[in-house]
Amino acid sequence: MLIPHPLLGLRDSSEFTYLGDAALLDRPDGMAEGAAARFHDYVHLRDNPAGIHRELWFHEQGDRSWLVVTRNTVTHEILGAELAREARLKGGAA
Amino acid sequence: MTELATLTALGADAPAQRHAGALTITENAGLALASLALRRGTAQPAPFGLALPGPGGWAEGRGVSGFWTGPGQWMIEAPGRADEDFAAALAAEAPGCSITEQTDGWAAFEIVSDSGDAPIRALMEKLVNIDAAAFGAGRATRTVLDHMGVFAIRRADDRLAIIGARSSAASLWHALAETAARLEGVGT
Repeated sequence: MLIPHPLLGLRDSSEFTYLGDAALLDRPDGMAEGAAARFHDYVHLRDNPAGIHRELWFHEQGDRSWLVVTRNTVTHEILGAELAREARLKGGAA
Repeated sequence: MTELATLTALGADAPAQRHAGALTITENAGLALASLALRRGTAQPAPFGLALPGPGGWAEGRGVSGFWTGPGQWMIEAPGRADEDFAAALAAEAPGCSITEQTDGWAAFEIVSDSGDAPIRALMEKLVNIDAAAFGAGRATRTVLDHMGVFAIRRADDRLAIIGARSSAASLWHALAETAARLEGVGT
């Protein structure tokens, strides 16, 4: 499986480690009202559709950048990858 | 005062060298290394007049060279200056950047082919999971070699440098020398 690194081009997936769904980028404010309930949802509740997922991958054996990789879990097709930093600055994981 | 003699990463007095057919692997014991990282809002410097390369690149300047290691991060090399405080010299050239001495953490091996780029490409195909055809002169990357994280630098079509952790220098040397010998069909 090859991951299209936005800076380095196609790289083998063995160089990467997987963290989880890109929704993890939208961490709730721990000091806000109702933070406990929101953190419960943030930690435990995740959509798990058969199909397209956005996931956080770490290029551990490469340039150590975090990527948001869009992957179809039905076909194993990698649909795209972008730097997690840029995805976050654009406005979260959605 | 006691005269202290430096040992190479492989624990010898002199840099190791191995010939295998068209390939020659030489330990580069004199290579000084320092990492350079930009801080937020800092302009990109040009230390010693070196134009820092973009992602996946390696660039050579006067007396120093450098390769991209991550967004806003580079490793700067200075051949033959391992005995000096190269990090301090670099810090003076890159004000406002984070400079870290790296020389003592790494072991560098230079691989030269005496018959063009084909032996280097064949060696890369055996050693690293990188597209060797697209990894031409001036390319550099961090990747895995025999389960060890290394930097690979294509200094020229007929030259490849591998820089790995000094603590596993002997394992890296073993991997390079064995692979080159088998590839070139010579005994080890």
